[in-house]
Amino acid sequence: MRKIIAAALLVLATAGCGSSEMSATASTASVDNSVQFDQALHDKLPLSVRNTKTLRFLTDASYAPMEQFAPDGRTIVGFEPDLADALGRVLGVRVQMVEGSFQTTLDRIADGTYDAAFMSMTDTPAREKRVDFIDYFTAGTSIVVQRGNPAGVSGLDSLCGQIVAVEQSTTQADLLRRSQKQCGGRPIQIIQTKTNADALLQLRTGRAAAVLNDYPPASHLATDNRTSNYFQLASTAQYEPGLFGIPVAKGNTQLRGVLQAALEKVIASGTYADLLARWGLSDGAVKTVTVNGAH
Amino acid sequence: MRRGRGGRRGTRSGSRLFAIYSVVSLLPVGALGLVLLSGVRGDAAKQGQDQGKAQAAVIAEMAIAPALDDADLTQGITAGQRDSLAKATDLALYHGSVLRMRLRNFNGQVIFSDDGSTSGGVPVTDPAFQSASLGTSAATLVRDAEAPGGQIIQVLQPVFARASGEAIGVLELYLPYDKIAARLHQQMVVTYRRLGVGLGLLYLAVSLISWSTTRSLRRYAARQAHEALHDGLTGLPNREAFRQRAADAVGERRDGAVVVVDLNRFKEVNDTLGHHAGDQLLRVITGRLRSALRAEDTVARLGGDEFALILPGLDAAGVRTLLERVRAELTREMVLDGVPLSIEASFGVALYPAHGDDVERLLRHADAAMYQGKRGAADIVIYSGERVAQPTQWLVVQAELRHALERDELVLHYQPKVRLADGVVTGVEALVRWQHPERGLLPPAAFLPAAEQSGLIEPLTAWVLRRALADQRAWTAAGRDWAVSVNVSARNLETPSFASSVIDLWNSPKRLVLEITETAVVDDVAAAQHALRELAAAGIGLSVDDFGAGYTSLGRLRGVPLTEIKIDRSFVEESPENRAIVRGVVALAHGLGCRVTAEGVETAEVAAWVAAAGCDDAQGYFYSRPVPWAQVPTLEGVR
Repeated sequence: MRKIIAAALLVLATAGCGSSEMSATASTASVDNSVQFDQALHDKLPLSVRNTKTLRFLTDASYAPMEQFAPDGRTIVGFEPDLADALGRVLGVRVQMVEGSFQTTLDRIADGTYDAAFMSMTDTPAREKRVDFIDYFTAGTSIVVQRGNPAGVSGLDSLCGQIVAVEQSTTQADLLRRSQKQCGGRPIQIIQTKTNADALLQLRTGRAAAVLNDYPPASHLATDNRTSNYFQLASTAQYEPGLFGIPVAKGNTQLRGVLQAALEKVIASGTYADLLARWGLSDGAVKTVTVNGAH
Repeated sequence: MRRGRGGRRGTRSGSRLFAIYSVVSLLPVGALGLVLLSGVRGDAAKQGQDQGKAQAAVIAEMAIAPALDDADLTQGITAGQRDSLAKATDLALYHGSVLRMRLRNFNGQVIFSDDGSTSGGVPVTDPAFQSASLGTSAATLVRDAEAPGGQIIQVLQPVFARASGEAIGVLELYLPYDKIAARLHQQMVVTYRRLGVGLGLLYLAVSLISWSTTRSLRRYAARQAHEALHDGLTGLPNREAFRQRAADAVGERRDGAVVVVDLNRFKEVNDTLGHHAGDQLLRVITGRLRSALRAEDTVARLGGDEFALILPGLDAAGVRTLLERVRAELTREMVLDGVPLSIEASFGVALYPAHGDDVERLLRHADAAMYQGKRGAADIVIYSGERVAQPTQWLVVQAELRHALERDELVLHYQPKVRLADGVVTGVEALVRWQHPERGLLPPAAFLPAAEQSGLIEPLTAWVLRRALADQRAWTAAGRDWAVSVNVSARNLETPSFASSVIDLWNSPKRLVLEITETAVVDDVAAAQHALRELAAAGIGLSVDDFGAGYTSLGRLRGVPLTEIKIDRSFVEESPENRAIVRGVVALAHGLGCRVTAEGVETAEVAAWVAAAGCDDAQGYFYSRPVPWAQVPTLEGVR
């Protein structure tokens, strides 16, 4: 209850000061009491966090079931908000999920606008040059097509000559670019969109033949009864499996260490496995928490 | 007649019950109708609002959100976005599909409006605005005097600007309601009509059910009423019904009669031919009674072999005539189970209003008359006042008599018996009187029948014997050598110890004669004869009283050591027939070795002819009334 009131106050506060990004609260769905507050970890948090008693995560709520808007259009729910909530509980701070652009995530983390991000962001060597990642999930890329697969997409190589939509700055966008080499004279026409939802809108309306998504949201689209009428997976293949990581500013080893330790505690308590199961994501579980685990 | 009235009453109460059912079932049907109607009305209003919401959602998604193109409403909108919004909404506003429109951010600021104003709109604190800013659209019907129909729909709709489903503000729309209202009204009229017809049918069904239920109830009640008032075997009205009808008949203030009919040998038929034959007999009797009576008469079965009749509009003579016909019909021979038999019946008649205007009293009187008939020889007896000892009165008499014995209220009077040859008093007959504290000196007829009906006759006879023998000792001491006669009831003779107790009491050489009333029916003949022989053997004289008035079989005279026969007073009036009878009896008595006494001799002429006819002794008022023994005349001078 107190948490909800606090969140509401935050909403008004951010709106009042003219922030360009909408703020939203984390889902309060995870109420696993097995996650214990850890005073020692709390004390190791950066002073700024301890002062505000708040961890601010940037997120892009267009990636169900990892993160998405609830029907009210304002609350952000999903596996990542729940995991962030569990972390906040261990650390004894409030967690704030702020909707923002995926493309500028690394800038906002690097410049300290946000403490970290939950973006379903794949930990890559290129990104590691700008931020550090605490890796919490593993997934490959899948190809989403219209139900019935009218364009006959079977794999990455069959995308040549097709229009493919993808969210800007994602590993999927990189993957598409790399795939162009095989196409020769029939290149993939890539539409880059601001959010994943915009990319899916292109597919839904037939302006694109396929969308590349990480496997969890792709699988969700193909099975959720609100979307499964329109979307399916082109194949069961997952390309270039990689780790999802929480980006933190390069120099902020204090926060990085605390988040890593807190995540280990959440995994050890069983809450992590419970939250994965709740969102149908158990396949993507990691056994140990790595930092900058890209390869 | 009565049945018809009862039937009408049943119908009336049945229709009242049906009316009550109808009204009562109308209540839930009406309530159901009201609930359904208000439901329909509520549904219609909700439908209107839902339609408004749906329209607003489409407008927000198809016109507003695309035009905003990723705007941040907290910062306002660009000129390009404003143009896009205007283009997207111009036509709808111009054509009146949308009446008013405001786009507002979550703080409530008006970012865009149909008329360019930046003020107005619902307050931020309005629940509708709150609801929309939390993601749920809200539709309300609001009054607008200028709009056709006076009402418009206000919708506050969250604007989801992006594919991700993120809400950026609230769209405040005012949509026309008159067409929706008209269609809803049309739908409602149809629904009302269906509802009306449905409820009407339901009510009809309920009414039919209650009608059929009340009808069966009514029939059942009528059957019950008939069974309650009728005898199952014969179908005749039963005792209760008889009471009601008799009460009605008596209430009509006409002359009439209540008759109790009792069959005389019914028990024999039941015992010998079986109950089946008994039942059949009752049915035959029922048919005969009905056929012999008039249409306005009533036959009822009171129970067992007892019937009762109500004969309105007749005087005593008319009743007797009618009953003679009935008796003739009843006693006609019939064949039951192959056995020919004829049944006799006793009729006790009570006339109303002469004998009472109360059914119970009339029944009691008729009953008493009927019993009198059974005791006597007459089949049809009309109640004749207090002369008939009433069974109910008997109970009182019995109770009082018991006290009388204890308090010594009884006295013995004596009537002398005179030897016709010389006029000498040879004996006296002890006659008991009751010095009743309220009713004065009562004759034996007033209380002896009551005593005979109960065990009182034994102590009474014992008392009389003891007193008579004591008086005999007294008059013997006074020098009078009279035998004493004591009347003995048939019931006494049936008591095994009677003879020995009399012998014990007697215990004296003086002459004692026991007079046995001939009319008394002796059931246990063997026991009675044994007692008589024992008494005779002891030397006690035995006399037959009232000879000729009853039914004594001549066979009974055989084997009983009689000493005297007393000719009934009905034969002492001189006539050729009586003379022949008296002579015959005298011859019979003398042949049996008995003396003959003439009773009821009241004049010298009678005394003379009975003496001439051969009687030995005479008794009667001519000599003396019954008097205390001291007053008994010696009569030497009378003759």
